[in-house]
Amino acid sequence: MYESGLERQGGSFYGESLILLEAAVTEVTTRIDIIRKFVQEKGFRDPIEHIKTRIKSEESMKEKLVRKGFEPTCENAISKVYDAAGVRVVCTFVDDVYKIAKLLESQQDIKIIEEKDYISNPKPSGYRSYHLIIAVPIHLPECIKYVNAEIQIRTIAMDCWASLEHEMRYKKDVPNAEIIAGELKRCADEIASTDITLQAIRDMIDSGGIGGKK
Amino acid sequence: MKLLLAEDEVELSKALCVILKHSGYETDAAYDGQKALELALSNKYDVCVLDIMMPKMDGIEVLKNIRANDIETPVLLLTAKAQTDDKIAGLDAGADDYLTKPFNTGELLARLRAMTRRNEKKTEESGDIVYGNIKLDRTTLELSGPKASLRLAKQEFQLLDELIRNKKIETGKTARLIWGDEGKDDLVIIYISYLRKKLASSGSDMTISQDGGGFVLEE
Repeated sequence: MYESGLERQGGSFYGESLILLEAAVTEVTTRIDIIRKFVQEKGFRDPIEHIKTRIKSEESMKEKLVRKGFEPTCENAISKVYDAAGVRVVCTFVDDVYKIAKLLESQQDIKIIEEKDYISNPKPSGYRSYHLIIAVPIHLPECIKYVNAEIQIRTIAMDCWASLEHEMRYKKDVPNAEIIAGELKRCADEIASTDITLQAIRDMIDSGGIGGKK
Repeated sequence: MKLLLAEDEVELSKALCVILKHSGYETDAAYDGQKALELALSNKYDVCVLDIMMPKMDGIEVLKNIRANDIETPVLLLTAKAQTDDKIAGLDAGADDYLTKPFNTGELLARLRAMTRRNEKKTEESGDIVYGNIKLDRTTLELSGPKASLRLAKQEFQLLDELIRNKKIETGKTARLIWGDEGKDDLVIIYISYLRKKLASSGSDMTISQDGGGFVLEE
């Protein structure tokens, strides 16, 4: 579960690596906070609604490792999968998502491992979000270590859908599962449509009215 | 539009044929009921006009036969006298409308327009609109492109439908068509901006550009 504050989870499983994971989460959050402050300092509105972070729980990490065919060890949790440390950035408008992604990607000491644009290419379920897998440098007493983190960037509307869909996914063996999945997809497509409408209204306001050139 | 006219008064039939042709109907004329039924069963008409009093087979019999053969073409009956019994029997036999002789040709044309309009809507409402690399679903208002699908608002759907149908639309006319008398040009402009973004989001390469007092859809 993503939390607004930093929760200590899976302490014993991750051992001292937990320090690295927490450091990665803090590092990413700080970098985003700095971007956020600078944008506002320049007189623009805050592109971010809120940020949530999480360290993947021992239970779901072990499940994921086994599912991917790895031994469920702490070592593999750090090196074989990328989302032990997770940061979720919830933006106001669709364009803000890309702005934040671009600003992060352009930071020189960040290594970009993978970027997945599920906004342009939604998942079959209707899920939309921009995923960025990066490695951030963490300064340790004797060395610099790059730690993997997954950053999910999405709008409030996308987050609304994803959170509710996640909640409902627990009950999988319900009758009419196919109809329900179809209905959830419809909601995602409606929300995406509204997101774009809101963006267009925002653009209209920013450009000083209808038909304004921007 | 293909029309079947079954009327035994040859002079009236000929006069109607001229008027109907002038109004854009491709008309087949039959002077008795048997011939009318033969034509109705062997051709696909958009609308039929049947006189009730005809030699060999009356209009109601023709109509019953047509319906018995699962032909759902809209039918307008012409009744020689204002007899309520004929009207009831005709409507119950599957007629969509009737007109009492003598009638005004303007009214006949208006009734034909009303009947074909209903039918046109019915065939249009079922079935998707496929254009370029997008698909529009009339029942769900879903726009699907190569990358994603989105649900459109009713007016967005109507606007895109107009653009696909006509390629070029006039702002003022479209505003009134979609929003009625209250329709303002600005509404069309706002909805065009929504559609542009939504087309792009679906992954379609179609664009809408401004053209004089209207908009053009381009692939």
